[in-house]
Amino acid sequence: MTLTLLDELLLFSGATLLVALFIGRGLAAGWMVTILYGGQLLTLLKMAALGYGGGIIASSLSFTVMGQNLSWRFDALSWFFALITLGSALLSSWFACGAWERSYAKQGGNIWLFHLAMALNVLSMLILLASGDLLSLFIGWELVSWAGFLLMALAGGVATQAAMRYITYAMAGGMAIFGGLALVYSSSGSLQLDAVLIAVESMSTTKLWLLVILFGGGFGVKMGLLPFHLWQAPAYAETPGPGSAFLGAISSRMGLFAILLVLVKLFGIVNIDSLKIPFTLIDARDLLAWIAVFTIIFPTFTAMKQNDARHLLAWHGIGQGGYMLLGVVVADAMGGAGGLLHVFNHATYQAALFMAVTAVIHRTGTADLNKLGGLVVRMPLSFMVLLIGIIGLAGLPPMNGFVSKWLVYRSLLNEGMPLLFLAAVIGTLGTILSVYKLIHNIFLGQLRVEHEQVKEAPWSMMAPMLILAAIIFITGLFPGIPLAWVASVQEVVGLPATDYTLGGVESVSGSLDMIWVIGVLFAGFGIGAVIFYSAGRSKRVHQLDNYAGGHFLSADVRYQYSDNFYAGLMHLVGGWYRGSFLWLEKSVISLIDFLSLVMQGLYRRANAEFYLLSTALFVMAWVVI
Amino acid sequence: MAPLELLLELTLMPLVAFLVGMMMVLMMRRIAARIQRRVGPPLFQPLYDIVKLHSKQTQVSHGLIHDIGIVMAMGGYIAAETLLPVPGMNGIAEKGGIITLLYLMMIPSLGLALGVGQCANPNGSIGIARALTAMLAYDIPLVIVIFGVAYAAGTTNLVDIIAQQQAGGFATWGAVQMPLLAVAGLIAMHASLGKQPFEIYIAPAEIATGPMVEMSGKHLGGLFVMQCFQLYTISVLYVSLFLGGGSTWFDFLLKSFLVLAIPASIAYLFPRYRTEDLLRLMWKWPVMLGLIGVAFVL
Amino acid sequence: MSSINQIPVIEAKKGNPLARVFDELVRFCRSRSLFILHYCTGCGAIELPPAMTSRFDMERLGIQPMVSPRQADILLITGYVSIKTLKRVILTYEQMGSPKYVIGICSCTVNGGMYWQSYATAKKLDEYMPVDLYIAGCMPRPEAVIAGLQQLMDSIHAGKANSWEDYYRNYDYYLGNQQKLFGDNWQTPTDVIAEAKHYNLLSKGTLGVHTRLLEQHQQPLEALEMRLGHNLKEPTE
Repeated sequence: MTLTLLDELLLFSGATLLVALFIGRGLAAGWMVTILYGGQLLTLLKMAALGYGGGIIASSLSFTVMGQNLSWRFDALSWFFALITLGSALLSSWFACGAWERSYAKQGGNIWLFHLAMALNVLSMLILLASGDLLSLFIGWELVSWAGFLLMALAGGVATQAAMRYITYAMAGGMAIFGGLALVYSSSGSLQLDAVLIAVESMSTTKLWLLVILFGGGFGVKMGLLPFHLWQAPAYAETPGPGSAFLGAISSRMGLFAILLVLVKLFGIVNIDSLKIPFTLIDARDLLAWIAVFTIIFPTFTAMKQNDARHLLAWHGIGQGGYMLLGVVVADAMGGAGGLLHVFNHATYQAALFMAVTAVIHRTGTADLNKLGGLVVRMPLSFMVLLIGIIGLAGLPPMNGFVSKWLVYRSLLNEGMPLLFLAAVIGTLGTILSVYKLIHNIFLGQLRVEHEQVKEAPWSMMAPMLILAAIIFITGLFPGIPLAWVASVQEVVGLPATDYTLGGVESVSGSLDMIWVIGVLFAGFGIGAVIFYSAGRSKRVHQLDNYAGGHFLSADVRYQYSDNFYAGLMHLVGGWYRGSFLWLEKSVISLIDFLSLVMQGLYRRANAEFYLLSTALFVMAWVVI
Repeated sequence: MAPLELLLELTLMPLVAFLVGMMMVLMMRRIAARIQRRVGPPLFQPLYDIVKLHSKQTQVSHGLIHDIGIVMAMGGYIAAETLLPVPGMNGIAEKGGIITLLYLMMIPSLGLALGVGQCANPNGSIGIARALTAMLAYDIPLVIVIFGVAYAAGTTNLVDIIAQQQAGGFATWGAVQMPLLAVAGLIAMHASLGKQPFEIYIAPAEIATGPMVEMSGKHLGGLFVMQCFQLYTISVLYVSLFLGGGSTWFDFLLKSFLVLAIPASIAYLFPRYRTEDLLRLMWKWPVMLGLIGVAFVL
Repeated sequence: MSSINQIPVIEAKKGNPLARVFDELVRFCRSRSLFILHYCTGCGAIELPPAMTSRFDMERLGIQPMVSPRQADILLITGYVSIKTLKRVILTYEQMGSPKYVIGICSCTVNGGMYWQSYATAKKLDEYMPVDLYIAGCMPRPEAVIAGLQQLMDSIHAGKANSWEDYYRNYDYYLGNQQKLFGDNWQTPTDVIAEAKHYNLLSKGTLGVHTRLLEQHQQPLEALEMRLGHNLKEPTE
């Protein structure tokens, strides 16, 4: 039996897990695991043909359970997601090695468990991505859910609570998916993709509706789609630093992968489009699109109110997921490309941002936005990484986030969807507001006395951050590189492929060439610099030599604006934060509590007379009728 | 296009923008003066101010980011000008389109925000917080307007949008075809100028000119340069979207100055709104007009 | 032409002609663009609004009000300066960017005016900072203010309004007077001596007894330089 490349990859990943399990307590275990991730990435790169329109690589592992054939294979879609998974795993694990590990262990963290959880996550994600039929998809799904739980629960305390919340949601989602699978099986008699593809054509509208709701809801839980998003931010934020970089980068995108596989590839956007909601003008696709834009807006504006840098970023992670779904649901060449490209872009900047924040926590011990400030003079490289990351997150040129968002906007414009377009832009504006708060409160403004002696993050943490920053910029300059992969993914899932060039996209109705845009932008910066620096030499002054209406400033009085940052905005919209989703969650919980109490009551109160009477009545009624 | 010719265009476009922008600054100050029954500044006053600020002996800087922020504020607009077609010169307008232009116009604000941030002055930070809030306010109607225009034209390419308007003379102008969007755009444009009654983030009596509080010498000079570009960009963008661009330079400049004269004549009659009132105003009237306008376009 | 001194003598111009034109341009622009910071301490402030608004309109001379000391060229002090206020005036003056000019309006800044007998008033402003121009009167009319400003513009254009350099050259004298009023512990956040070195204006009068007294207790606020810190050793925990 010859091993295919996919076998090699999965075996490699399994070996990484074993190394983390057995010699993970040893010296330099972190470095070893990191190198193994690098090896996995290399194996994946050997499959690079997949990303450029190559065929399918199957695993030689397959078996039959109860008449169901389970198989695993890689195509362009899997390859694209696996690339992001392994890339973020490699860099997060690298980030964790060395200084971070030591301080984590010193604070009582279990570094062995951390590496083990990471390796398990990666393996289970690869298994999920390789799934060749719906049953293996479900198995992979559950593996990913539980592996994620392990990583989230590591830190204990608040983190465990958040992880418990997550697993509750994930289990409910799993149930929905299982229900969907049963329904699919009942109508097609098989869980093979080909069989399902045929069965979908003859399905009744009601059934298709039910399937869209079950699968969409189930996968949507992982993606943090409204209204199932509440678990995500605390769970990701409370994970140990590099873990949250990894989870934030890729974990919830597994939901998008499954949506692409099941809803887009199997059911087809056309079929979803034909599902009308009675008595309204909208159909299932519009419904998904609106869920996507609300997923953009609400979490983004929730992020703006956060006072903890990690929570702020985690909330944005939910919001950015909305752009991906929105692009995919619009489903023309540009929209699909935008949505898929955003998966890649989001992974790069989200990982960079979480790492930068973790570096700040490593040096100062806090992520509280009201307890930091002015760190740019002490941690300039971290500042740069965070700056590049937030420009990407906000989707401004010259970083990569701009390209994917541009594609999404462009598709909404082409399709004539003004309200969705507007909502997507509101999300972006909200993002700009909240990321400025992030960078201002950490790195700008007044440096606190206790941070006078803070130093830049150690190189073991700095190197992966800088690599990510470079990737963010380079894929912004040459978006054609990831767009090539994206185009083959589009072909695989049955969306029209985009017409890309190295610098962007070509289109009759307005193209984008980032090489020119960035070239001109930097030329503009150059001219600006010439104008600026041609004037006299600057004299640097201390931060306390500052305008305060004639007041003498001293270091013991904070001269910084950080709390309630957008006070004017909050005067207007503050009252709109009602916590409706929290209320919804609470009411569901209390409903379930109540039902279980009723059941318990019935079960406990073994009232024989009552049962006898009701049975007799029932029998009599049956006889009479 | 010959590379040399393109290079010439890319150099000339920001230069023209700067010169015209200075005249626009002068016009705004003159209009303000006339409304207040004053004489107003002399012809070259904007130039005097910029030269003076750049030649100050003391150039107080709060650090590298303070400097870079100003460079970004100027550079972002210099880059944006090359995406904005003028008569006879298209620059790289076809390679970016209007959405890119809109986003490039946010780069200067971001640069300024970073620069102000390092000044460690809460007045400045409050100013930036308000400026970003104002951006959230006026960008929503602006985006609706741009959506409507781009959808009606079927392209995001500004060159095509202008060509389509010029094809049928006055009757095919955006302002004639889509009057509601034109009005909404005018209000949004006024707010994006940051003049009264929308100057919440300058607010001299309240937060000591906000972002500019710690700016001296060449830093302030850079902001003056940026203001020239800002006025030019906003008015030319409006002219390109609604008034058919310019077929000749005379035509083009006349329209740009006239467009800018409208908010300038209104601005100095009013005091300042509070932040939430600005948001309320912007999210109500121009958005409503814009959405109705878009509904007509669709 | 009665006296020999009144015969104009054209001095031979030296140096690079381009640089001369450039210097002339800079001087001209400086004189035609003046941002004022009005430190309104007393009743003289009431004369400034008419000078700015429709009747007299300072803006036609290129003069406009600004808000923070960093932006301003002229510090207008319009009335009596109490000792408490003077501290703020000095802080404001030191935060302004040079070339900077100080104008004292009203008699109070000249000699204390009607507050001559007050224990809490600094009498002569030019003991504490170099004053370019006094506009005397109680209070001077806007015409006088405008005339004074025009005189200042002329001397800036002629390159004679250099009194800001005097603050660096004779810092010891000004500091001595300040210390006499505020006590030996007096200190501003601005490091004037370092600035004097920065502008090459360090001279005989910059350092002296008083600056030595300052250096004894001064905690100099050096700019927070950007640093990586990798070359430092890890702190031993």
